Amino acid sequence: MSTQLISPGGIPREALAAPGRQFTRDPAQAPTEDLREAAFELEAQGEWIVQRVPEPYVEVGTKYGRLKKIPVQQTWHHKSCGQCGHIPGYSTAIFWLNRALGLDYNDPRDQTSCTAWNYYASATSNVGAQAAVAMRNFSAAYETGYYPLIHCGTSYGHYKEVREQMIHLPELRHQVRDILARLGKPLVIPEEVVHYSEWVHAMRFEFAKRKVLDLSNITVTVHPACHYYKLVAEDAIYDEDIYSGQRTAVVTGVVQALGAHVADYSTWFDCCGFGFRHILVQRDFTRSFATLRKIEVMKNEANPDVVLTHDTGCVTTLDKSQFVGKAKGHNVGIPVMSEAQFVALAMGAHPYRVCQLHWHSVDYRPLLEKMGIDWEARWHEFEQDLRRIEKGEIQFLTWEHADAK
Amino acid sequence: MPSDRILVIGGGPAGLEAARAAAEIGTPVTILEERDRLGGAPDSASYSTVTLDDRPAGEILEQARRAVESHDLIETRLQTRLTAFAGEVGDFRATVAGPDGATATVECGSVIVATGFQHFDPGRETQAYGYYEYEDVITLVDAERMFSQGKFVRPSTGEPPRQVCFIQCVGSRDRRIGNEYCSKVCCGISSKQAIEVRELVPDCRVFIFYIDMRMYGFWENKIYWVAQEQHKVNYVRGIVTEIIKKGDQLVVKGEDTTMGRPMEVPMDVVVLAVGMEPSPGTRAVASLLGVAQEKHGFIEPAGGAFDTVSTSVPGIFVAGAAAGPKDLDDTISMAGAAAMKAVAAVRRLALTH
Amino acid sequence: MTTATDVPAATLEEKQRVFAEIEADIRFPGFLKGCYECGICVAACPSARFYDFSPRKITQAVARQDVELVWEQMNRDVWDCSQCFSCLRCPRGNNPGGIITIMREVAVNNGLRSAKEALEGYGRIIYKIMGTGTQVSPDMIQPEAFPDWGPETRDVSANLQLWRKALPPETLHTTSTAWEVNDKTLTELYLIWHLTGVLDMIKAIDAGLHMILGDVMEEMLEEQGYQV
Repeated sequence: MSTQLISPGGIPREALAAPGRQFTRDPAQAPTEDLREAAFELEAQGEWIVQRVPEPYVEVGTKYGRLKKIPVQQTWHHKSCGQCGHIPGYSTAIFWLNRALGLDYNDPRDQTSCTAWNYYASATSNVGAQAAVAMRNFSAAYETGYYPLIHCGTSYGHYKEVREQMIHLPELRHQVRDILARLGKPLVIPEEVVHYSEWVHAMRFEFAKRKVLDLSNITVTVHPACHYYKLVAEDAIYDEDIYSGQRTAVVTGVVQALGAHVADYSTWFDCCGFGFRHILVQRDFTRSFATLRKIEVMKNEANPDVVLTHDTGCVTTLDKSQFVGKAKGHNVGIPVMSEAQFVALAMGAHPYRVCQLHWHSVDYRPLLEKMGIDWEARWHEFEQDLRRIEKGEIQFLTWEHADAK
Repeated sequence: MPSDRILVIGGGPAGLEAARAAAEIGTPVTILEERDRLGGAPDSASYSTVTLDDRPAGEILEQARRAVESHDLIETRLQTRLTAFAGEVGDFRATVAGPDGATATVECGSVIVATGFQHFDPGRETQAYGYYEYEDVITLVDAERMFSQGKFVRPSTGEPPRQVCFIQCVGSRDRRIGNEYCSKVCCGISSKQAIEVRELVPDCRVFIFYIDMRMYGFWENKIYWVAQEQHKVNYVRGIVTEIIKKGDQLVVKGEDTTMGRPMEVPMDVVVLAVGMEPSPGTRAVASLLGVAQEKHGFIEPAGGAFDTVSTSVPGIFVAGAAAGPKDLDDTISMAGAAAMKAVAAVRRLALTH
Repeated sequence: MTTATDVPAATLEEKQRVFAEIEADIRFPGFLKGCYECGICVAACPSARFYDFSPRKITQAVARQDVELVWEQMNRDVWDCSQCFSCLRCPRGNNPGGIITIMREVAVNNGLRSAKEALEGYGRIIYKIMGTGTQVSPDMIQPEAFPDWGPETRDVSANLQLWRKALPPETLHTTSTAWEVNDKTLTELYLIWHLTGVLDMIKAIDAGLHMILGDVMEEMLEEQGYQV
């Protein structure tokens, strides 16, 4: 493997670590089956193709100390419906980070939603349909030669469920194989199921090298996404230098690498309250949970400048729920974004052309000011872009515009 | 060369008692111990007491040690490990490596494996309990160390705690961790420690969060009832999902299942009732000897209910927690049984030669 | 949500038949082993904090094969689950959230009233996902649908066409889908819905929606030369 792109060295151990105790992981003690080995065995039996992680890749440790390969480039971006639909700066920032490092990627049109939001919300789907949708997308990626990088935490968690089911339930595997055959597609499973936040984590020192803002006065609280580290838990990323290896390291790792301060709070492990069906049709639950169990607790205990998370539903829930909380007099008002947007800002990305913060609800301007970003000037530039589009001078905003100084 | 010597691997309670018993009826014994002193887990982990015995653990261990060290028929090799093993019952050859790395051969007619257990490491799973994040989250072992110094304090401040809880089944009875068995002793030890906390810090409230309290035999009335009735220890049926810091206290989150509601309780100290796992020595020795292990790595007795000490290899016997979670009473009883079988094995051969 | 008195009456045979469908699901043996009744799932559950909802009780009821209680839960509780899977910390290796997923699917397949009620107002979303290949789209953010999301939502809605054009990734200039999806890709998705019986599930819940989706899909599948 090659790690030329990766700087050596770590970050200081969290102050939280209990003195005198140093945890060391032993992959030999991992209690779960290694599904990757099982996938290779099925490949040897001619059941499917395993798509290899392209080189160069970065190896990072997971919950039980096994190593996971994270591709650096040649990635096929399995987009998130909620990100692209409602938080487009999220997806745009992920692409921008790839471009900033000069990495090759593919933004496909031959991709559907994973449909897991619907599956978890309404149950108007079934195990065969879900697996077929997942495997159709994997097959589509394989056909391009690019490797799936999954933007959504729910897609990521659900695809790991699908992988487990496809390995353990031959009946399902054969049903899906026959469906894909009717579509003229091979049955393909990626060697690793990779979430974009794992890629951000693996590349964090590269981003840190390229940061242009001083973030030492920025306090961040992290909300970890349930479907990232609770659903099929064993291959979420853990790092002995972050939370002493006791909590997932993604998001926290990159924030620390950028030199911002991560503050803890007492409902860290709680869900955001998204609820799948609740955010759409039972929003009183979502609002209450997000406000009372997450935002207000963070505000009271850590008073952060921003909440960073790494999943679609969490950004939406935590951001959109604060309006009513504020109206009801709760101690809320923390801007919310993905760590991808935050990293991009730190590296000088445009807050509107790239990070598209005007799609967010909670006021992010005080954060930008504290980070040293002149949001008024940037907004003025973006408004000029909009006028040019309206006048027909340009059809769309392009990457060249987005990167213009 | 046929030998009438018994090799005892492991110098903890099981090994000490097996060696003493075999020597007492005239059989020469060699004990291998990887540490630089005898005593095993109760010694290395500084147990304050052993459950259901009022005397200090150190005193009991010292007595067992003296019985072994003073016996002419017992040879003790400290800081020594088994590195190779060959032969058959009556005529085994064990290659051992001593403290200076020099190897030697021990000829023996039978073997007793008494390599014991290790305490579950709560960083390996149950990470949400934060053992490696918060000083005030401790294990039964850490608590025992404090009791042996005659105190119980919040490690982060050195002050007496006002509110303490025990969480049961940490690393036991858990399919996700891979340890599917009950470690047998933790319910009793937690309750014993809860009493000690109440005695040392009388105004401290103590809770035990459990799935099932497994207080078999006399542990029921001698520990459980005493803790609950005399010492007002609160037993709450429900297991904690996570521990996190809030201000300068810990918060444990669980469900009070008999009341049917989620609970969040502030604590000064949380004690994790960590269970037993096969020790690295048990795993290594089992593989060198070629004896069958059950699915978690403990050595599997092959003889059924009326023979708790024979392994899958004739002439090799097992005693104590190397064969699965054990309390000390069972360990000592098993050591006697193993000594008996091991002596019988070497004598039967001596008669036929 | 509904209260206990709203649970529709059914014969014991009917309840047993529905329960048997839960147990027959191929995921079921992996989702339910046995239950300690320890409550770790409730401790981690967001819904348990706001509703009279307990993943433990649901798991217990299913494990005990208590068809009467399971029937009640299918007609009431299961729709309160947040599907966050915090309950996966279960020491027995159960998946309470997964059991609930199966119970919901069985409720939908059988056209249970709770399923119809729970999915009221949800038809538009099902139409989006099944019909367009992306679950949520920019044009779903309308102020009247999301008055509680604050005034910024009005700005997004008012400027939607323009703001979508101001996105650098070429695939995101859409308003009725989250990103641009190829027709061929969409047809493949339709075929998956047909071949896996999902359209039949919709039929049991919302006949009107089923008809609309059927029309859209058949036309496109025929165009692309697929026999359904």
